[in-house]
Amino acid sequence: MSDVWQGSLEKIDDFRWRIPKSYKPGMRVPGIIYANEKLLKDIRHDKALEQVANVAFLPGIVSASLAMPDIHWGYGFPIGGVAATDIEAGGVISPGGVGYDINCGVRLLRTNFQYDEIKDKIKDLVYALFSDVPSGVGTKGDIRVSAREEKEILVKGAKWAVASGYGTQEDLECTEEYGAISGADPDAVSDRAYERGKAQSGTLGSGNHFLEIQAIDRIDDAGLCAEFGLSLGQITIMIHSGSRGLGHEICSDYVKKLVPSLKEHGINVPDRELACAPVNSSEGKAYLGAMRCAANYAWANRQCLMHLTRKSFERIFNMSWQEMGMHLIYDVAHNIANIEKYVIDGKEKNLCVHRKGATRAFGPGHPALSERYKKTGQPVIIPGDMGRNSYLLVGTQKAMEETFGSACHGAGRVKSRTEATRTINLNTLLKELESKGIMVKASGRGTLVEEAPQAYKDVNEVVDVVHNAGIAKRVCRMRPLGVIKG
Amino acid sequence: MAHFFVKNYALIEHTADIGIRVKAKDLKGLFCSCAAAMFDIIAAGCPDKAGTKKILKIKQQGSNSEELLVNWLNELLFLSATKALIFSDFKINKLSETDIEALVTGVSAKYCRVKTEIKAATYHALKIERVKNAWLAEVIFDV
Repeated sequence: MSDVWQGSLEKIDDFRWRIPKSYKPGMRVPGIIYANEKLLKDIRHDKALEQVANVAFLPGIVSASLAMPDIHWGYGFPIGGVAATDIEAGGVISPGGVGYDINCGVRLLRTNFQYDEIKDKIKDLVYALFSDVPSGVGTKGDIRVSAREEKEILVKGAKWAVASGYGTQEDLECTEEYGAISGADPDAVSDRAYERGKAQSGTLGSGNHFLEIQAIDRIDDAGLCAEFGLSLGQITIMIHSGSRGLGHEICSDYVKKLVPSLKEHGINVPDRELACAPVNSSEGKAYLGAMRCAANYAWANRQCLMHLTRKSFERIFNMSWQEMGMHLIYDVAHNIANIEKYVIDGKEKNLCVHRKGATRAFGPGHPALSERYKKTGQPVIIPGDMGRNSYLLVGTQKAMEETFGSACHGAGRVKSRTEATRTINLNTLLKELESKGIMVKASGRGTLVEEAPQAYKDVNEVVDVVHNAGIAKRVCRMRPLGVIKG
Repeated sequence: MAHFFVKNYALIEHTADIGIRVKAKDLKGLFCSCAAAMFDIIAAGCPDKAGTKKILKIKQQGSNSEELLVNWLNELLFLSATKALIFSDFKINKLSETDIEALVTGVSAKYCRVKTEIKAATYHALKIERVKNAWLAEVIFDV
């Protein structure tokens, strides 16, 4: 990874850079990267910018192949990539543009607690959450569902969880797509995918997935904080997880199907992991139906994880979660493809918007938002690394105009897992975190080193770019207190 | 009959995920070593316990040897995830550019220290090539 990307990059302004369409024959649109000079230095050190150019080959892509400031090298799409294709013009859908963890996403809960009130309970909470919320590789959940219910989850998503007693109607109003995207087609999901996802509802998973207790350490917009019921020092909880084995297998199944069909559709892409099919083809429709099943499964999963979190808090504080004010602020997907309407060259078009490591960031007044967020714009939740910060932002009208209503999804990796393992000492890391008042509990010690703060860009820099570029607006910043890693 | 379970690979630096570079004398060895490398990333410390081993038969197809390699590895991931097995012994009975038939032996994951969840073997930067008297493969995994 020491090679520096030498391709053509034009500066548009302090936060926008362009890879011209002429960079590579076959690019249908230019690439636009949201970054500052400092972030760009790191971005150039892997193959992410080449991947931005590769995504510009997708049939039907409109405007530009976009990259958020947390962009880094993925497979096919860069992580932090956004691409919209015009469905009526033969626009494609690409499983690699969503990823193997379909609807990997994050949710943020508030509490009524102030840091000073619970600082002595953090250790108890971390142990309770670690014990109550199944995490780690290959874990199975305590929330058992029948085979019939498994299918129901794929259609009803978080609505199934709420109907089963794991939450409230209010939670659904605070979830992207109200926790269940329509058009899910369980018949498009293979038996293999069902089998791989079996018994994983209500499990966190491993890798970069986490559950974190946080405190708000900076207010960026007092008015929006007041709207969301947030204040300095207030305790929040963040949950990051996805669709587990079900999503992994659905992506594998459809990449395997679509690689051979590229020729049939006359599609030429520079990387087989960009395998795709027109949204309106039988293969495209089947993938979309299956992807939506995995998305719904992930929303049900995060709803169950939140239920388990509320129960842990109830056990420790001997109060109901309602008394503790543990209300959901929002839940966002950051690996997904959605059909959304945008005006392109003066005409309203149905676009297939791929967000691969990018967050939907709809601005105020968008019809997809529930009444409570119509005025503010959609909450955008940006987790950082376990040693620095995370953010709450809101979507903007500018995002609707420039990025198909999208913003970044996290800090973005800067060191490979192998480099992190080679260069970071676990004991030193744990001491550093402890000195910052952060308690960590993980299923695997290796994960901790791979996920160390040094392996990530500084989320503060990343969020500065999206805020200053105007595609999302900062609301407040959180710092970690207790972290449960898979 | 190729039969490998030795550590015989190098890790490829990749920002988000993990890649392997594997060399072997022949294609059968290459497919076995790729599988062994993948399970070396997934788990460590699997004991060679008699009575806990399970042998499974695998048949896969692909339109060329690269796609066949990805299909072989993804089938192993699927079986590992659904049967909670860690595979360590790979015997390839038949291998062509488009078909593979093998017997794979695994132990229950509960006896191993499972370190990493691999979601899939990807087609990104996938490579199989002849180098002098050996074969080389590169595979990027989504983790």
